[in-house]
Amino acid sequence: MARIPVTDEQLIERYGPHLNQAPPGGWNAGLDFDKVVNTHCCFCGQQCGIRLKVKDNEVVGFEPWYDFPFNEGKLCPKGVKRYLQGSHPDRLLEPLERDPSAPGGFRTVTWDHALSRVVAEIQRIQAAYGNDAFAMLSGVSITNEKSYLVGKFARLALQTANLDYNGRLCMVSAGAANKKALGMDRASNSWSDIPLADVVFVAGANVAECAPITTSYIWRARDRGAKLIVADPRVTPLARTADVFLGLRPGTDSALMGTILHVLIANDWLDHDFINAHTLGFEEAAAEVRDYTPEWGSKVTGVPADRIVEAARLWGTSATGMLLHARGIEHHTKGVENVLSCINLGLATGKYGKPGCGVSTITGQGNGQGGREQGHKCDQLPGNRDITNPEHRAYVAQVWGCDESEIPGKGITAEEIVEAIHAGEIKGLLSICFNPLVSLPDTKFTAEALDKLEFYANIDFFLSETAQHADIVLPGSLQEEDEGTTTSAEGRTIKINAAIDPPGNARRDWEILLDIARGLGREKYFGFSSTREIFEEMKVASHGGTADYFGMTWDRIEDEMGIFWPCPEEGHPGTPRLYEGGVFAHPDGKARFHPVAYRPPAEVVDDEYPVWLTTGRVISQYLSGTQTRRIGPLVEQYPEPLCEMHPRMAESLGVVTGDIVRVTSRRGEMTLPARVVESIRPDTVFIPYHWPGRQAANQLTNRALDPVSKIPEYKVSAVRVVKAEGHVEIRDKRVTALEERRRGDG
Amino acid sequence: MSTSGSTFRIDGRAAMFAGSAVGVLLVLVYVGSGAGRWFDAALAGYLIGVLMGVFAVVYRYLVWIQRPPTARLNRRGWESFRRKGRVGHNAVGLVGLVGTNLLAQGFIRKRSTARWAAHQLVFWGCLLAAAVTFPLTLGWVHFESVGQQGSHYKAFFFGIGTGSFSATSLVGFTTFHLLNISAFMVIGGVLIFLFRRTRDPGALAVERSGDFLALAGLFGVSITGLFLTASTMWLEGRYYAFLTNVHALTVIMGLLYIPFGKLFHIFQRPANLGVHFYRAEGARGVQHECRECHKPYASAMQVADLKEVLPAVGFDYRDNAGGNWQDICPSCRRKMVTAAQVARVGGFG
Amino acid sequence: MGSPLIRGNMFVIDQSRCIGCEACVQACEECGTHRGESLIHLEFVDRGATPQTAPMVCMHCEDPTCAQVCPADAIKQNEDGVVQSSLKPRCIGCSNCVLACPFGVPKYFALPDQMMKCDMCYDRTSVGLKPMCASVCPSQALWFGTPEEFADTRRGELMFEFRFGNQLVPTKVATVVNDRSDGPVDPLAEPPSRWQDDPFGLEEAFS
Repeated sequence: MARIPVTDEQLIERYGPHLNQAPPGGWNAGLDFDKVVNTHCCFCGQQCGIRLKVKDNEVVGFEPWYDFPFNEGKLCPKGVKRYLQGSHPDRLLEPLERDPSAPGGFRTVTWDHALSRVVAEIQRIQAAYGNDAFAMLSGVSITNEKSYLVGKFARLALQTANLDYNGRLCMVSAGAANKKALGMDRASNSWSDIPLADVVFVAGANVAECAPITTSYIWRARDRGAKLIVADPRVTPLARTADVFLGLRPGTDSALMGTILHVLIANDWLDHDFINAHTLGFEEAAAEVRDYTPEWGSKVTGVPADRIVEAARLWGTSATGMLLHARGIEHHTKGVENVLSCINLGLATGKYGKPGCGVSTITGQGNGQGGREQGHKCDQLPGNRDITNPEHRAYVAQVWGCDESEIPGKGITAEEIVEAIHAGEIKGLLSICFNPLVSLPDTKFTAEALDKLEFYANIDFFLSETAQHADIVLPGSLQEEDEGTTTSAEGRTIKINAAIDPPGNARRDWEILLDIARGLGREKYFGFSSTREIFEEMKVASHGGTADYFGMTWDRIEDEMGIFWPCPEEGHPGTPRLYEGGVFAHPDGKARFHPVAYRPPAEVVDDEYPVWLTTGRVISQYLSGTQTRRIGPLVEQYPEPLCEMHPRMAESLGVVTGDIVRVTSRRGEMTLPARVVESIRPDTVFIPYHWPGRQAANQLTNRALDPVSKIPEYKVSAVRVVKAEGHVEIRDKRVTALEERRRGDG
Repeated sequence: MSTSGSTFRIDGRAAMFAGSAVGVLLVLVYVGSGAGRWFDAALAGYLIGVLMGVFAVVYRYLVWIQRPPTARLNRRGWESFRRKGRVGHNAVGLVGLVGTNLLAQGFIRKRSTARWAAHQLVFWGCLLAAAVTFPLTLGWVHFESVGQQGSHYKAFFFGIGTGSFSATSLVGFTTFHLLNISAFMVIGGVLIFLFRRTRDPGALAVERSGDFLALAGLFGVSITGLFLTASTMWLEGRYYAFLTNVHALTVIMGLLYIPFGKLFHIFQRPANLGVHFYRAEGARGVQHECRECHKPYASAMQVADLKEVLPAVGFDYRDNAGGNWQDICPSCRRKMVTAAQVARVGGFG
Repeated sequence: MGSPLIRGNMFVIDQSRCIGCEACVQACEECGTHRGESLIHLEFVDRGATPQTAPMVCMHCEDPTCAQVCPADAIKQNEDGVVQSSLKPRCIGCSNCVLACPFGVPKYFALPDQMMKCDMCYDRTSVGLKPMCASVCPSQALWFGTPEEFADTRRGELMFEFRFGNQLVPTKVATVVNDRSDGPVDPLAEPPSRWQDDPFGLEEAFS
């Protein structure tokens, strides 16, 4: 019975989001602290080093960590204000059970009661409908150890094939393409290669807002004289300064990259030696773009032909170059193809395995890189192993001490799990670190699916919009309440240190999973007594896989401020730059070109829905906003979604900045204020997606998936935009000020 | 700490006024003390200190009030106050402002209750102490023993008798211990201030010796005064002569410090009341529109005042086109500086 | 000219690099000298036309206009040439400094009825630490370090002078220009320029 127990308003009143505005005790309390803990930001894949100041088991502030090499003290506003997520009035401190008669819709229960209910429901559902009818959804804002544990827990405790994670909405297109082309799913370089590049090509990455610290690396390259190319439908803050800006139409990335490859070939701006020695399949890839002339590319992408040629010239004639891409090219039904078309450009010009050369995805989620390697994707086992590969299964079974047949087979992906719930095939769900009601496309569909669950248990530290549907909510831990390792976008494995203990009766996530496993009678596989023990087993489980952590030690990770995998044996220095000397990770050491034919997105504009919609992030919010929508200063920075549109479109609609517009797609509609800017294509609108309910951009987006990576096409939908007339309720009343007066008195 | 632009020339006019103030005070001492009859010779040192202090404060005040921005504000404040048809309203307002602002100091409370409490303690302690000691020092008040017991006293103000009281009564006790009470108040306030400082490394960093000197001075005067009481009450007057000298020295030094240090704000702060009237007057009048964004951002009066004051303090923000940088609002100034800088690095933006 | 250095370091602001992320705004109020109050400025130049943002810290003028127009002697430059927030006991809240500062830096706060301004995080810089804003700035539009570091890692030349009409204003904080010999940064003389007048090629008959 996974409907929300009481009205939205009642839930919000009790569980927030409320806004935490000031540190514990107020600003005037003075900055008194007992200790300073070196750890990392919990938001985004850059995992910036930060020093948290702690007093009486509360995080009260921060100090820049100047010595951490990745960010040298730099932080974005989320990192600065992250400490306000602790000591928060919305923090869940007790297990909760759905109870429509209780204030706020949940009653407080004991851990014993909550855990036995969860165990009983898992057993009931699995007995009635089969093991796979109980699914698990996870996320990658959690550590490597927890990711590993979730993978093992789902396979050996829940014994379900249906485990997937929210990285499915994030890095899977890049991961799949990198594996296909290069044999390994990791950014090709440490970020220290970026400043060495003579040309930096940023494709579909709003670096300034989504990976802000990377900006400094790009500027370091430019300080050396590097040129900057940016491909984006919007003039992002970094694109503003680009030497070549390619303002392409949403969904035409592979046409742009194909055209650039065409121009490279036509002008012979190629590295033939590299192609011959280290790659396969160039001819086929070249044949595919034979007709992709600049004129054709310009017609498809909407970018002036001379700019495409200029971008190709810069990329092709520079001795070194880095191509950085992110969700802008990956959130597509052609996500994998788009990434492959970027990799083709790197391979064709020999920009791999050398200083200042590489094609890298900028991983989005906190532990997006590490989390996807430890085996909580539906098709993977630890070490980036393939769950369908008998050798891989046998190895992991041996590490786990189980019979190979006990490891379930390949399951379905996150969006497919939600669809299976909707279809009544999956009846029970346990989730951690995932707020699909905000983050999955087609919000209405997701809500309908959740309502159909017979039982839903959720582990979280705040009552997220998805958790509101739960039958049992188990209060887990914030990142600063547990230790472990994560692996950043660079492939650098780093140490997260616990600053405080979980408050109240909240518990560490891994302890909760261990208790459920015990309840299910599977404790023999889960004899861990610390995070470190999980790490030790994880490292062995990863050994021999592509993401090999075997040589890392708990102490080395901390002392060396991170180790880049692969690190296959003890004493191995780690591998900041992959593919040195053109040796790729396929067994034959060669990279593969892939022919990429342009095809249109799943949904294209037509007379009924004539405007392109693309979605994305703003700097002050993180993903579904469960944390950042509760931090007052961040909410103030960008309080509600705005619909960006070009003055030409605004004029035709009779809209000026601040007017309310109604945006309608085939899935739903929303009303929101317009922001009229010249920094977006005239045929496209942009809406950020961090908000729930009536403010959710994902009410409009399309559930169409990439056939390989199964990533949804967030970046392209067809919509209709009109000026909203009459009374329009835009605010969801989801934000109520905790304190009227901002300043405490000391 | 430099006060930029100050010159160390003697201001003859200010000196003359300060000298006159000292003269007037001397006449009052003469009259108030019955031509010296009731003047307590033991307080002569204090009198000299007071006279020097008065000279210094008046001189410093006059120099300050003549600075172009101060003079302009002073004039405008009074003009605003005396504005036809508003004098009555303003007078009532002034009484309120004196109460809330100068006496109750609500603006400090808004910053922090602890800071406000500390300041109130020091403020009222000092005021109380001054109310007791200045009339005594200047010979305006003296006590005479009345009746047979020797414990009854009568207070005289400018030689005119007021009420009499018993030294052992509550009134008597309080009267003779007013200074001790004030000393405790001041010390309490000073300790709160110091405690806050030690817990606030930020404040410490921007603090300059002037602040600590003021606190140290207040503390010194209070504690040496208390020592005198302690000597009389519990030590049968031991060390009294020595302590008297120490106390006198700290008081005199304190008086002379007033014009130079933090304590001069006692005389500057009332200008804040003028600002209230100036601001109200400005808000009622024409607003100045920014030359760039055409939005009003300040009172036309204040912008005009600044345009006159700036040349007087050595700045010329006029441009060749007959405009003035001061006609642009602060926000547009920041944006234009950015635009200009951006143009100088290759035209991003 | 006064020294730009404070414990061997200097502050450089290069507005052209600003990405408008507001990390500086959020970090500013974490500074020990003014906890809870953000004193840095950051705003869009003209959001409709460009994402360019305008960050502004105190430039710490050699002869600060704000201090000279203060009727209450409340604004002081310390021995390092850092122009500090108004002295709390003295400031009478008249806003002369807010209106006169050529860079638009001082902020008037109605609640304590006083002006506060950027003091270059003097609690940090006076002991050799970076100010909060320059510590966190992801694009290094706000930068703090030694002149040697700047010369080694950054493009452009340092400029310590601005011109506003007839008034030349030398500052302690530097900005960056391509060529110093072109003279002071002059907001009234520089023609407003945009990086790309036509980012989407609309004028090239595209749509």
